[in-house]
Amino acid sequence: MGSPCEVLSEAKTEAAADEITSVAASEAWRIEDKFSRYRADNVVDRINSAEGACVEVDEETARLLDFAVRLHSLSNGMFDITSGILRRVWTFDGGSLVPSEEEVRQVLGGVGWHKARWDRPVLQLQAGVEIDFGGIGKEYAVDRAVMQLREMTDTPCLVNFGGDLAVTGPPRHRPAWSIGIDGSGLGNADNVIKLSDGALATSGDSRRFIEKDGIRYSHVLDPHTGWPVRDAAASITVAADTCTQAGMLSTLAMLRGGGAEAFLSEQNEQYWCRR
Amino acid sequence: MLTGSRQTSISTALATATCTLLGSAAPSVVIAEEEPKWDFNTSLLYYGEDKSRVRDLSLKAIVRRLFTDDRVFSFGLTLDSLTGATPSGAIRQDVAQTFTRPSGNAEYTVPAGSLPLDDTFLDTRLAITAAWQQPYGESSQFSVGFSGSKEYDYLHLGLNGSFAKDFNKRNTTLSTGISIARDEFDPVGGAPLPFTAMLAVGDTSNRGGSDDKDVLDIVAGVSQVISRNLVVQANYSYSSEKGYLNNPYKFLSVVDGISGDTIIGTAGTSHVLRFENRPDERTKHSLYTQAKYNRGGKVLDVSYRYMSDDWDIDSHTVELRYRVPFGQDKYYEPHLRWYTQNEAEFYSLSLLEGAALPLYASNDYRLGDFDALTAGLKFGWTTRNNSAMSIRVEWYRQVGSIPGEQIIGNQAERDNYPDLNALIVQLSYRFKK
Repeated sequence: MGSPCEVLSEAKTEAAADEITSVAASEAWRIEDKFSRYRADNVVDRINSAEGACVEVDEETARLLDFAVRLHSLSNGMFDITSGILRRVWTFDGGSLVPSEEEVRQVLGGVGWHKARWDRPVLQLQAGVEIDFGGIGKEYAVDRAVMQLREMTDTPCLVNFGGDLAVTGPPRHRPAWSIGIDGSGLGNADNVIKLSDGALATSGDSRRFIEKDGIRYSHVLDPHTGWPVRDAAASITVAADTCTQAGMLSTLAMLRGGGAEAFLSEQNEQYWCRR
Repeated sequence: MLTGSRQTSISTALATATCTLLGSAAPSVVIAEEEPKWDFNTSLLYYGEDKSRVRDLSLKAIVRRLFTDDRVFSFGLTLDSLTGATPSGAIRQDVAQTFTRPSGNAEYTVPAGSLPLDDTFLDTRLAITAAWQQPYGESSQFSVGFSGSKEYDYLHLGLNGSFAKDFNKRNTTLSTGISIARDEFDPVGGAPLPFTAMLAVGDTSNRGGSDDKDVLDIVAGVSQVISRNLVVQANYSYSSEKGYLNNPYKFLSVVDGISGDTIIGTAGTSHVLRFENRPDERTKHSLYTQAKYNRGGKVLDVSYRYMSDDWDIDSHTVELRYRVPFGQDKYYEPHLRWYTQNEAEFYSLSLLEGAALPLYASNDYRLGDFDALTAGLKFGWTTRNNSAMSIRVEWYRQVGSIPGEQIIGNQAERDNYPDLNALIVQLSYRFKK
């Protein structure tokens, strides 16, 4: 998942706590192994190295692709799982290295879901196009882990994969879990949210940016232009029924730049935005 | 509104898509709320003594700004409006008595047989407090604060600080606190010089100006979780007051050594009176112990305080509260408090004509020998949106007595320490935002 993952549970014994943690951890590792673009020999690797050939995918991958397609259309193309290769020219490490327009244009040639042909269960990408489930995977893993824990036990649990989290229900002796949102990345919570049920996800990382000639470039990239979205929020946290919904809503809001708050308000979502 | 409905549909479409992705509908609906950042605690208190004595209407508000990581800034405001009359220290006579008002500009008459009360007791007090509290390291916290209050004739300014540290998996807490204060009096008409006689209207030759006192309080305590249901604590506190400790509005009757009647005045007031005089230092030590026991949601709170000071007052306070929840969000809480103290070493009902003046003397009933009982009931309920309301009604009764050897002649036939009854009603409203 590329970030610290934790499970909080109110298990009565150490053995029960171990079991809960291992169920969540195995699901996280399974999803990581299967969908990480950094691993060889998984389905993503097969798709990305197909060089224009057709790849038949399993049911779970097909569901993720369906989901990505739906999001692509809901966001008018702003959410695009082929946009990951833009990272080859953009490095958001707080430095001042901005790629040239030519460099961006070159890599943008490989971006765009219209370069893919998705005919369930077969996916065909044009050569040079790659997909990346990084924008969905963590939230999906949280929901999957929570679903399994719900089936397995009545013990209240909180699954937190790198700040995207969901609970199986309220804790036993308190009305809610207290969750601090560290939007600044400085180690103090800006807000404390009491979560009894459902999920929270946060998009944005105020430490990831480029600053050059007085212009601050956010790490949120517009797949149409290959350039960072203007006026992106520092971080956006959304509360929703599932972590996947919360995560996608915060991502879609982030992609709207200065219009993030208006978008989330129109959707009647509960959110906390830091600029 | 076309845009609006299209926009809202993103959320709905996303929910449907997520349901398909996860292979099941969301098993629950999100319940999230931001932790409140503001805590408002307000109350209106009525305190009324019988026989037209003191009445106080007090409006109080404490606002706490809650920051993350248990850091809290609090600000409090209290507005008191005092009216009524308070015993002046003079004793009853079988004839009417006249007194010069504290201002020195007028006089008033107390009918024969009545307890002399000073009816100019009327004031408005504004008090503010401010404090900052925050954790210090893993297991400690500290606070620093300021207090100030202003009345017509009184100014209080104080600073305080406290430190607490948890041990033993937070089951034991040691705490200590200190506060220093400076109080300035600027009595109406000037502070009378101790033991001088009450003079005729217009004569201010015995009046001084303003005066002040310094107060130091130190407290150290321990609280201990004994079990899931029982918490106990014990505190020791030390208090030192130095400076002007007199009450400038209180005086004593100068009486005949045989009859006990107040000497008739020859000039100015009808009878001979002298302003009181107290030591200019007072040191108190007190020990407070408390136990709170929770049995199935019902909480019994028992406490005992022992206080001893170098004015030779010893007091004991036993207090009992029992909070019983009922219904959905309601509770009631009976309250009993019993207090007893013996009189100060220099407490004196009157001064003897012709005898040498004692070093100190005061007939302030609060320095006398008395017992007091408070009995009350509080009823509280929680409303929606994090707010809580309560109403408390209490009855207070104070019964005092004068040491037998101080009663001279005719004084024995008069009620020298009348009983005091008071009604206390408090409405509280607390909400968080």
